[in-house]
Amino acid sequence: MKQLLLDIQPASPPTLENFVVGGNDELLQVLRNLDKRDFSQRSLTLWGEAGSGKTHLLRALVANAHGYGLRAAYLDAPQAAQIVEQQAELISLDNVQFLDESAQIALFNLFNQFRDQGKLLVVASDVAPAQLTVRDDLKTRLAWGLVYQVSGLTDLEKIQALKSHALERGMRLPEGVVEYCLRHLRRDLPTLMATLDALDEWSLTTKKPITIAMVRGLVQMPPGFS
Amino acid sequence: MENFWFACLGCFERELTAMQFNTLIKPLKLDGSGDVLRILVPNRYVMQTLDEKFVLRIKELGQEFFSRPIQVELVLDSASDQEKKARDEKPQIAEAASEGKKQKSQSKTDSYGLNPSLTFANFVTGKANQLARAAALQVAENAGGAYNPLFVYGGVGLGKTHLIQAIGNHLREIRPDAKIGYLHAEKYVSDVVKAYQHKSFDEFKKRYHSLDLLLIDDIQFFAGKGRTQEEFFYAFESLIGANKQIVITCDTLPKEINGIEDRLKTRFSWGLTVLIEPPELEMRVAILIKKALAAQVKLEEDVAFLIAKHIRSSVRDLEGALNRVIAMTNFTGKPIDAALVKEALKDIIGRIQSITIESIQKNVADYYKIKVAEMYSQKRSRNLARPRQIAMALARDLTNSSFPEIGDAFGGRDHTTVMHACKKIDSLKINDATLTKEYNLLMQVLRGD
Repeated sequence: MKQLLLDIQPASPPTLENFVVGGNDELLQVLRNLDKRDFSQRSLTLWGEAGSGKTHLLRALVANAHGYGLRAAYLDAPQAAQIVEQQAELISLDNVQFLDESAQIALFNLFNQFRDQGKLLVVASDVAPAQLTVRDDLKTRLAWGLVYQVSGLTDLEKIQALKSHALERGMRLPEGVVEYCLRHLRRDLPTLMATLDALDEWSLTTKKPITIAMVRGLVQMPPGFS
Repeated sequence: MENFWFACLGCFERELTAMQFNTLIKPLKLDGSGDVLRILVPNRYVMQTLDEKFVLRIKELGQEFFSRPIQVELVLDSASDQEKKARDEKPQIAEAASEGKKQKSQSKTDSYGLNPSLTFANFVTGKANQLARAAALQVAENAGGAYNPLFVYGGVGLGKTHLIQAIGNHLREIRPDAKIGYLHAEKYVSDVVKAYQHKSFDEFKKRYHSLDLLLIDDIQFFAGKGRTQEEFFYAFESLIGANKQIVITCDTLPKEINGIEDRLKTRFSWGLTVLIEPPELEMRVAILIKKALAAQVKLEEDVAFLIAKHIRSSVRDLEGALNRVIAMTNFTGKPIDAALVKEALKDIIGRIQSITIESIQKNVADYYKIKVAEMYSQKRSRNLARPRQIAMALARDLTNSSFPEIGDAFGGRDHTTVMHACKKIDSLKINDATLTKEYNLLMQVLRGD
């Protein structure tokens, strides 16, 4: 009989503490200072390639703000229309590169309002504000506050991040599994994390320990699949 | 399509390991029943794997099944992902709010919509804006006089808002009883909509038609909004008729605004139309020094010059760059010098192109003066093999591609060859200073440092 999973994911909500800092130490200090509610009336723009950790940071900031009893919301580009309704002291908006014309105007208005009221807006995009293809009046506003590139991790740091992720999930990973993933898979963190999660689920469902053979069973396709 | 999808599932269940089938294929959903096979995918990871490994096979099966080629479309299942997130978060907002720890929002602007910190005194003047400033000051001294309306236009982030806010603040100083209203055009649009919904146009008119000075920002936002334009037309006629001052900003000349009625365009150019141009280099330096002074940070002129040389577009971009420089000096404790500025500006300007294996191969081949084709050739002479190895190691360090992908891009080599190359370069870097230098140089070039 198949073991059904009581899916109580995610095991580890994103926080500033469980973010593997890598080359982002200055950015992290800025974000930790926000923890002390030092909003200093500036917007914050994070940019970087997919998988560098932007979403993690945006969500961590929102969670922290909740911890202080502040109203805060995380929104992804498709939900951007909702930003008008938000009554919050902090809003983080992900993937601004995907905003359509009306969402860009909504963000423009929100930016002006937040700046006037000393509230904090944090946005993330895949490229630097100067390279974004959005309205010019919005683009210059996003470049107005503090702009940080979130740089991805080195392979060694990724190994560290994956191992601590596994630990938080309570997974038992034999030596070499993470390294095997790095040798055979795309090495962006979301892919690697998702692979670990898939392995964990499979191992729980089948009640078999995770082994390199199991990883191989997941990632090596039979002939005929290119 | 549904029947075909079931056939596919059967096929995959036979061909794949149970684990692959259960984690990758089973969670998929079929969307609609059109001619295209639309598959809803739960997350990005599955999407990528499907795209790389399965789409081709599904197409093959489709060809067999229908005896014609089929189209396959992968769509991220927003219902399972985004909406769940949205549902998760909405209650959290409510919860935090109900704890009663609401912060009162402290607005920097007063009931007139004026921000007292935007004055003529801290408006940096240069060739690009001196005419506009002179006109604005004139209007502030003689509201309702000869320059009515004052129409200020120019690109984004050049200080239009600062200038018209300064008019309001100045007038309030010399005539404290004057009724002043500053608003963004978008706010006017939404006020019209509200007045329409609540049938409260009388109140709306009373509010706007009784002002001594109306400052309205970004009038281009009126484009295509007929009712708003009509209301503004009445407000305009009434105010100008009573010798009350109107100041308008826009991103372009009155006659060039798209989607605005002609009768408004003509009226916008009745008074004085002035342009704010992008600041020239000296002015950008002056702005930086003034802002740094306000932030109590010491900024040498040559360093300000360096920032101003790189950031040309708008005053907002300049301020953003300065903010970043100040944040970096606070963090590192280092003085603001050329090196620190260069480092900080990297985040602001951003890399133009993302790094691909192809761009790495091309740069490395150019550097070692070999043909790009040698990157994928099977020749193994050392003068070709070493650059190839360097390119592979760079691909490891600068992209997220998997080792098998890197091997493929280098003429279908095995992933173990890539691993060997990376190890080789890593060990050479320890002892070979020349190679290390070359490697770092290539890395810099590719990153655009």
